[in-house]
Amino acid sequence: MFSESKAELTIFDKLRSINYFLLFLICTIFFIGTLALYSISNGNFSEWPIKHLQRFILGLIIFFIVALLDLKIIFRFAYLIFIASIAALIILLIVGDEINGAKRWISFAGFSLQPSEFVKYTLILALAKYFHSMEDYHENFISKLIIPSFIVIIPVAFVVIQPDLGTALVIFLGGVSVIWISGLNYKYFISGILGFILSLPILWQYLKEYQKDRVFTFFNPERDPLGNGYHITQSKIALGSGGIFGKGYMEGTQSHLNFLPEMQTDFIFTMFGEEFGFIGSIILILLYMALIGIAIRMALTSKSLFSKFLSLGVCSVFFIYVFVNIGMVTGLLPVVGVPLPFISYGGSSMLAVMFGFGLLTNCYINYNTTLTKGSFI
Amino acid sequence: MSESNKFIFKKYDANVSINRRTAIITIAKAGLFSILGARLAYLQIVDKDKYEILSDNNRITHRLIEPQRGIIYDLQGKPLAINRQRYEVVIIREETSDYIKSIENLKKILPDVNIDTEKLYSEIKKTKKFIPIKVLDDLSWDQFSRLNANIHKVDGLYPQIGFKRYYTSGQSHSHIIGYTAPLDKKEKDTNTLADLSSAKSGKLGIEKAKDVSLRGKLGNKNVEVNANGREIRELDRYESIHGENIQLTIDSDLQDYCYKSLNDQSGCVAVTNIKTGEFYALVSSPSYDPNLFSKSISSEKWNSLTENIYKPLINKSISSQYPPGSTIKPFVALAALENGVSEKREVYCNGKHEIKDTSLESGIKTFHCWKEEGHGNVNMNEALKVSCDVYFYQISREIGINKIAEVCKRFGFGQNVFNSFYEEKKGIVPSKNWKLESIGTPWMVGETLSAGIGQGYFLTTSAQLSLALGQLINGGEKIIPTIVMDKNKDVQKNQKISLNPKHLAIIKKGLEDATNTQGGTSFRSRIPGNLKMAGKTGTSQVRVISSQEREEGLKKNNELPWEKRDHGLFIGYGPINNPQYAVSVIIEHGGSGSGAAAPVASKIFKYLFDNKLNLKSKSISNV
Repeated sequence: MFSESKAELTIFDKLRSINYFLLFLICTIFFIGTLALYSISNGNFSEWPIKHLQRFILGLIIFFIVALLDLKIIFRFAYLIFIASIAALIILLIVGDEINGAKRWISFAGFSLQPSEFVKYTLILALAKYFHSMEDYHENFISKLIIPSFIVIIPVAFVVIQPDLGTALVIFLGGVSVIWISGLNYKYFISGILGFILSLPILWQYLKEYQKDRVFTFFNPERDPLGNGYHITQSKIALGSGGIFGKGYMEGTQSHLNFLPEMQTDFIFTMFGEEFGFIGSIILILLYMALIGIAIRMALTSKSLFSKFLSLGVCSVFFIYVFVNIGMVTGLLPVVGVPLPFISYGGSSMLAVMFGFGLLTNCYINYNTTLTKGSFI
Repeated sequence: MSESNKFIFKKYDANVSINRRTAIITIAKAGLFSILGARLAYLQIVDKDKYEILSDNNRITHRLIEPQRGIIYDLQGKPLAINRQRYEVVIIREETSDYIKSIENLKKILPDVNIDTEKLYSEIKKTKKFIPIKVLDDLSWDQFSRLNANIHKVDGLYPQIGFKRYYTSGQSHSHIIGYTAPLDKKEKDTNTLADLSSAKSGKLGIEKAKDVSLRGKLGNKNVEVNANGREIRELDRYESIHGENIQLTIDSDLQDYCYKSLNDQSGCVAVTNIKTGEFYALVSSPSYDPNLFSKSISSEKWNSLTENIYKPLINKSISSQYPPGSTIKPFVALAALENGVSEKREVYCNGKHEIKDTSLESGIKTFHCWKEEGHGNVNMNEALKVSCDVYFYQISREIGINKIAEVCKRFGFGQNVFNSFYEEKKGIVPSKNWKLESIGTPWMVGETLSAGIGQGYFLTTSAQLSLALGQLINGGEKIIPTIVMDKNKDVQKNQKISLNPKHLAIIKKGLEDATNTQGGTSFRSRIPGNLKMAGKTGTSQVRVISSQEREEGLKKNNELPWEKRDHGLFIGYGPINNPQYAVSVIIEHGGSGSGAAAPVASKIFKYLFDNKLNLKSKSISNV
């Protein structure tokens, strides 16, 4: 089934091939996250930072395991992994813990996991294998557009009904980015965007009240300053009052006086921006850009299409995370629950992102590996 | 497969396509990141000032600091009204997840206090979640410290320390000092403390009259608060200004003594220094617990006070008006002397005085002397001594009402004694013009006769009587009646009331004889020894005695229901050799001046002579 051009890499070869600059950037951003969480805990290391550290270590383990796996095995089981993650979403709808009216978490052996976080990557896996395995690049649009669209729509639909619009959006955009890279004609993207805009009034009917409220609030946060607009209004006040140099570490009044809700999770960037100012915020954004830039460069070294699609998909998902989160807290995008990778407090997202970078690194290590067209298994 | 346009993908090297698409997507990502950077620059650099202000508004809250109310001292520097720490507990609903549990825990910590949970819960539900609601007020120190030790068990509950007014002086001072209570609706617009939720204002007495000086000024502080409004730290503070301390001219011991001398009878006493105008006592009886109003008072208790026929809430010494009765006679006598009536002039008293009255069937209206059988021939001295009504009917008729009114007004009747008490009444000095203006009918001769013995339209107050007598006895020195010591007061010695010393000597002699010679109306209440008092009794009718009643035989006062009995009055001064004090005593429905009022006045004079001669104030700056 496989055709190999090179001898198997040893584990040491692989370890040597890891891009340690990438890992360094990840650790740097994680360190900033820990600092931020330490500030939020008012200098109490055992409140948020310790768990954040534990999760990061667990994430590193996952990163190395995934990075050192045989790429062929990943390729082979790509669909199965995707199907398993979809199954997890279905099980979640039946037995999931309902928190704030949404079923997002599944408790298992003392852990609380959010399967939707992993679906972002398993979808990329499935799409990468699908596009890699296509018989001919000149396939008709059913296999080029319709089938991939279904692969994307199925997990998105399950996440939407949880309901978790934010994660669904990330999954959807992640999938679309892979389809884009696969070379689908521009026309379809343009007509897709137009179609989406035209269908907005119909989609609107299906939104829940609180979701509609959030959209209203996005366009006019002042309309409900103590309700839905509160988050975004307070978040902007925090960022703006931080100014160029910030209020100083652990000196953020908005965050330390509890004016900012959900500080340790989705709104952590706000607190960082309040304390470290414009300069701190820009440095953090530059770190993310550097990380994504390196990741894209790594992705392009791969020879196999699967590796390319997979790696570039991982980059896109990571970018979407960062962009949506910061866009949301700065009031550019509606408030949807998307964490800031490596910084926000949250186990599933940390593990999922490390899983993603594990996949990316695996492709990078095995850049020379060629893969045949895959069957279903 | 052809390469025509119907195909979705052109035939090309997949890797080239991927690279190109990746380049586009990478540029897009960089562009989107630039938008984020621009957005941050806009928020954090361009709009920085705006958000800084918003952030400060968020975290900084302006809080008021309650000023302490001025202390009220007596003449001797003894504190009468002070501020005590008030320990209270409030609940803020948004700071507890389960307020019912907090209240239940509070009950366990303080099993000895009563909480009306039903009322409290409904109030909590009605009130906005961030507004503190009073749960308990006026806890003892022990309860307060017990609560503080267990504060972790009662989320959302806050122990607070404030001030409450406390009156140390007991019931005898209630009326003159008054009390404080929460602001009325009207005051909320004008009172300078109105922004304070616990603001109170004086409602009666000195507390009301001097409210503006006593209340002090609000302080304020800026505090940093968290999103729940809880105070984190103080940023700056402008202290409140303690209300002005006030020293009264009231001598607390004397006030107490006067109150006790009234012995729970309904009545009032005023004691005046006739040289300075300082009121040393201003007593009203019965009274009420002055600390009653520091808590909310039950409607039952309130009704029992308002419905009490003895009217314990009213300060009778300045707010209750009585006909002066015979206590007006010294002033009528003065008017007679000034209008050419000789002291030697004799009037024959056969017990009644008749005048023509065409409105009556008989054509004659009869005015009776209090002594049915009459006094025989009386001159002025005798008339004052025995209080002969017929003598005063005669001379009043001769001089006319306007002359009487002029003299009475000159000595302070018909005017407010103090200008500062809104509850003060000024009495009535009747005259021809007064009647025309306020009643609208012309004056009748018979009314002059009634006025001549202090009946009819005449009304006065206890404070007025003692002031008028004081200004008469001191030889016509105009004195400024004071109840609050004023350090800056100019002593105005020059103001004189027109008074012929010879006339004064005649009147003084009459009053001295009335008390200190056999047959005088207050002889039974005389004080033996060197220091003597002198004075005039008064018995004022509160009903019209019909001729039929008179024929059937007059009922004795103690046979009548209380509220129909005569008022007993006495005005006196002493010591007679060197007068210092003027005292007026009024016993409501006491029966007679000689029987009810003079003995009380006598006790008070005795006390004054024994304990309070040459009374001087002690400066409160030294206490």
